[in-house]
Amino acid sequence: GAPRMRCVGPSMAAAQTEAGGARSVTAGAAGPAMGDAEPVGPGMGERGAAGPAVDGPEGEAGTATVAEEPPAPPPLPGLRLVQQGAEAHVYRGLFLGRAAVAKLRVPKRYRHPALEERLSRRRMAQEARSLLRCRRAGIPAPVVYFVDYVTNSIFLEDIVDSITVQDHIYSVQKSGGDTSGLHKLAEKMGELLARMHDEDIIHGDLTTANLLLRPPMEKLDLVLIDFGLSFISGLPEDKGVDLYVLEKAFISTHPDTETMFQALLKTYAATSKKSGPVIKKLDEVRLRGRKRSMIG
Amino acid sequence: MERTHRLELFPQHSVTVLLFQHVKNAAALRKKAMEGSIDGALINPAMIVDPFQILVAANKAVHLQKIGKMKTRTLNAEIIFSLSPSNNISDAFKKFGISDSDTAVLIVLVVDGDKTVNLADIASQVEGQQVSLDELPQLTDTAKVKKMYKITPQEEKIGTLLDSVVCRMSTKDVL
Repeated sequence: GAPRMRCVGPSMAAAQTEAGGARSVTAGAAGPAMGDAEPVGPGMGERGAAGPAVDGPEGEAGTATVAEEPPAPPPLPGLRLVQQGAEAHVYRGLFLGRAAVAKLRVPKRYRHPALEERLSRRRMAQEARSLLRCRRAGIPAPVVYFVDYVTNSIFLEDIVDSITVQDHIYSVQKSGGDTSGLHKLAEKMGELLARMHDEDIIHGDLTTANLLLRPPMEKLDLVLIDFGLSFISGLPEDKGVDLYVLEKAFISTHPDTETMFQALLKTYAATSKKSGPVIKKLDEVRLRGRKRSMIG
Repeated sequence: MERTHRLELFPQHSVTVLLFQHVKNAAALRKKAMEGSIDGALINPAMIVDPFQILVAANKAVHLQKIGKMKTRTLNAEIIFSLSPSNNISDAFKKFGISDSDTAVLIVLVVDGDKTVNLADIASQVEGQQVSLDELPQLTDTAKVKKMYKITPQEEKIGTLLDSVVCRMSTKDVL
């Protein structure tokens, strides 16, 4: 594949998505693995990816002229639609007697069918692969229960009674409480991400909505979810971008959290043996961002 | 005693799991299963952590049968193969199927909608005592399972043995 795709798409789209506050499911249309194959390349990337992403829950971009057939909901008992993302519809229900999450990919009819099939398959395979890799390395992520290669849907463990870190930060900030707790949370996040990156797993869509806290909240038991845009890479550039996406998401969604993110990075640097080049790349990527003067 | 679960994604199919202990005719049973006179998958309970593991295997097997992509020749063989972390079919049978000297046997029956299955008939063929599936944990050889599925020590901290096993089963052929 081409994990070093220089797309502005994913990071900006993901960041914008989180600015919207929506818990978007894999918004990037120009993901890293398919940069070379995507016919509506980088030019469309910004708008194309940003369009549906910003619309978030609606699922259909204003610019789309071809209606996208939503996948039929899986016949699970206790079924609830959780999220109608641009990439997939997410449901909760009981699967084989367990609380599960079903992610059904939304087929994109405007794509050439062969490409659509290949992309869909690859994304799902990447997600499954990353989840297994996380588990083997002891990085908390949902268990995979079933992968359907026909409809490109995946059935995963539902982390019951969890809340997103996003919601947690909101509620802590609202109730004017415990910023020391948030500091600890940031440290835990830094540690978790360092371990993930040390396994060369790039999440691809790091936001506070893709990090869950298992009850009881005080334990700071974190679980990473939504590996739909993930890939394997040892490059500091990719890890730096991964962190950059999180930083943008953090700052745009949660006001006054700069110190929190700094604590995250500090713990990241302390935990990961390979963090030096990564932080260096992060600084470089920051300088590259939108509306940055490209002098010197 | 036994447990039956209807597969959500394939509502025509239900999976029944029966557990037997103090079995004396494992060899004969194995033959019957191979011949087809017992239409079920005979599994070694020592390798099974929880009935959920069986359901995951059965679900995958039925799915593959429906799309014509089974790796083995029968549904029952496919269930056994789905349990295994390896892509070697005979290895799967050796480790997860029953051997002639086994004294505990797990029987998995996948029933297609209209066909009725005579559980008593199956049970009568077993020279042993049917017990509740609640007894399964006592029969599980945890060390063997960990070795078979190559569970890492880090994994044990983030989930149960069942979690690790199921994850491997479902992502076995993803590459």
